[in-house]
Amino acid sequence: MTVHARARDYPQSEFEGPIPNESELTAGSRIVPGRSYGFFTDTTRCIGCKACETACKQWNALPADNMALTGDSYDNTGALSASTWRHVAFIEKIGTGADRATEMPPYQSNWLMMSDVCKHCHNAPCLEACPTGALFRTEFDTVVVQQDICNGCGYCVPACPFGVVDLSEVDGKAHKCTLCYDRLKGGLEPACAKACPTDSIQFGEVEHLQRAAEQRVADLHQRGVPNAYLYGTPGAPGATGDLGHLNAFFLLTERPEVYNLPPAPTRASNRTLPSLISGLATVASLAAAAALLLGGRPGR
Amino acid sequence: MSYPGKVEAVSGPLEHSTRQRAPYGRTGDRSPFRQVYDGPTYYGRNTVKPSPFDWKIALYIFLGGLSGAAEIIATVADFDGNPALEDTVRQGRYLALVGTLAGPPLLIAGLHTPSRWYNMLRIFRGTSPMSIGSWILTAFGGFAVATAAAQGGLDTTNPVRWPRLRRILRGSARVLQVPAALAGAGMSVYTAGLMAATSTPLWAAAPRLLAARFAAAAMAAASAALSLGARRHHRIAAAERLEDLTALAAATELVMARASNEVYRQRGVDTALHEPQFRLFYSGGAELIGTAVPLALYVANRVTRHPSNRLAWAGGLAVMAGSAALRLSMMYAGNESARHPEPYLAATQSERTSP
Repeated sequence: MTVHARARDYPQSEFEGPIPNESELTAGSRIVPGRSYGFFTDTTRCIGCKACETACKQWNALPADNMALTGDSYDNTGALSASTWRHVAFIEKIGTGADRATEMPPYQSNWLMMSDVCKHCHNAPCLEACPTGALFRTEFDTVVVQQDICNGCGYCVPACPFGVVDLSEVDGKAHKCTLCYDRLKGGLEPACAKACPTDSIQFGEVEHLQRAAEQRVADLHQRGVPNAYLYGTPGAPGATGDLGHLNAFFLLTERPEVYNLPPAPTRASNRTLPSLISGLATVASLAAAAALLLGGRPGR
Repeated sequence: MSYPGKVEAVSGPLEHSTRQRAPYGRTGDRSPFRQVYDGPTYYGRNTVKPSPFDWKIALYIFLGGLSGAAEIIATVADFDGNPALEDTVRQGRYLALVGTLAGPPLLIAGLHTPSRWYNMLRIFRGTSPMSIGSWILTAFGGFAVATAAAQGGLDTTNPVRWPRLRRILRGSARVLQVPAALAGAGMSVYTAGLMAATSTPLWAAAPRLLAARFAAAAMAAASAALSLGARRHHRIAAAERLEDLTALAAATELVMARASNEVYRQRGVDTALHEPQFRLFYSGGAELIGTAVPLALYVANRVTRHPSNRLAWAGGLAVMAGSAALRLSMMYAGNESARHPEPYLAATQSERTSP
C-alpha cells in the first residue's frame, strides 16, 4: 500500500486530537455515511499475533476472559463471545512423528491462522430475529446492537449462522462486533484493522475490498497457492442460502469447516413463513375436524 | 461444494495435530440417504451458539399452545351450538386464561434484562417470529381475557334478575371469541416458527413439520384437557367427542413425528435425540406417552362395550404430559445439537430446501 498524499500534512509524532478522516491515511478509504464498509481478512497474511484481539478489547473496553490454556494450539481465546469480538484461530498441520512435515510450501500451508469476526451479513439473521429493534443496520451498512434497547431475549444468539452473537452474563445484553461504529463516526479505521501489522485485516468499502480480494486470489494462484479462495463474496461459499454477501469476508486456503465456518449457511428468517403457514393449515384442518366431531345432536 | 484447486483439501497431518476426540455422531447408521459430517472440526468446538432458552420458554410454549387451542375448540363448539358442549365452551374460555396469565411472567423471567420487557412491543418485525409472537400474545391476551370476563359474567349473574345483561354478555363473548380463537391459532403455531427460524440444527431441519407437529400437539393437549373437564362433570357424551378429537390430533402428531424423525436422521442432526435423557423425554415422553399410548387407550375404549373412565383419564393425562414433553425435549435437544459442530456442519454442507 502506498502512503497517502495527505500523510505529508502530518509530519509530527504527537497530535492534539484525531486527524480528520484519518482512515484515508491508515486504510486508504474515506468513511462516508451511506456507503458499505467491511473487512477483508486475508488468512494467508495472518501471523497469529492477536494484535486485533487486543486492540479490539482495548478500544471497546471489553473484559479479559478465559484466563487459562486451552491446549488447542496457540488459541487460548477459543471462540467469539460477548467479550471477544475478534478471535484468532490456529490450525496446526505440521503433523507428528513420521508424518511430521519437513517441507513448507509457500504461505500458510502448514499452520493456518485466521482472525474471525462478525460477518455483518447483507441479510443479517440476528437483525431479522431481533424483536426489539436493538439490532439495526447503521449508515455504514454494518450491524450493531443498541445496548440501551436490548432486553437480553437472546433470540439473536441461535439465529446467527456463524455463532457470533452472544449474551453477556454480566449485563444481560447481546454483544458482538460493531465494526467500531464509534470510530467510523469519527472517521477512524476500526481498531483491529488499524492494529493488524501485516494487513491481513483490511478495512474499506466492501466493493473495493471485494475487487482487491479477487486480485489477491488470482495473485496467489499464480504464485503457487492454487487452493486460495474467497469466503463470503457474492456466489462464494458462506454467501449462500439468501444471506447475500458478507460485509466481512475471508480469503481461505482450506475448506471452511477447518476454520469452524459453515460451507453453506442459510438465512434463518426464510423458514418463518413456511413454518407458520404449515402450522396454521394444521390448526385449521383440526378445527374443521372439531366442528364435525363436536357438532350435531347430543349423544351418539 | 468444491473449492478451487483442492477439493479434498484436508490431508493427513491435520487429523494428527488436532487433539484426539470421538466425533459426536451416531456410529453405525451409515444408510445411503443419511448426511453425516465426519470431516475436520475446529477442536470439536461448536460452530453456532445454542440458544439461552430453558424450561421457562418450553413451559410457555406448552401452556401457550394449550390455551390457544382451548380457545379454538371452545369457539368451534360454541358455533356448533351443541347443548351437550355448553360446559366445554365455558371451560375452554377459562382454560385459555392459563397461557395468558402464566405466559408473560414466564417469558419475562426468561429475559436477561427483564426490566426492559416492554421493548418487545417497541416495533413489529415480520421476519422475527419472536416479534410476531409478542403481538400475537398481546392480542390473544386481550381477547381471551375479554371473552373469559364475559363468560365470568354469565356464570355469576342471576338469569332471572339480569336477562338483558346476560344477552349482552353472551353476544359479546360470541363476538370476542372469534379474534381470540384466531390469535389462539397463532399461539399454538408461532413458537414452532420461532424455533425453526434459527441456525440451531435440530430446529431448522424441518420447519414445516415442526409447526404441524406443535399445532397438533396443542390441539391434542387442549381437547384432552377439555375432555377431562367434561369427565369431571360426568358429561360422558361430550367427553367422548372430545376424546375423538384428541385421538385425531394425536394421530396427526404421531405422523408428523415419524416424518420429522426421518428428516432429522437424513440430515444428520438427530444425534442429540439419541442421548439417554432425550430418549426418555422425546421418544418415551413426547412420542410414546404423548401419542402412541393414548391412541391405543382411546381406540380400546371405543371398541369395547364398556368404556372405562380410568382409561380415558389415563389417555387424557398422557396426551397432556406428552405435549409438554415434546416442547421440553425439543428445546433442550435443539440446544444440545448446537453444542457440537457435527450436526450443524452436516446440515450446512449444501443448500437444500427443508421440509
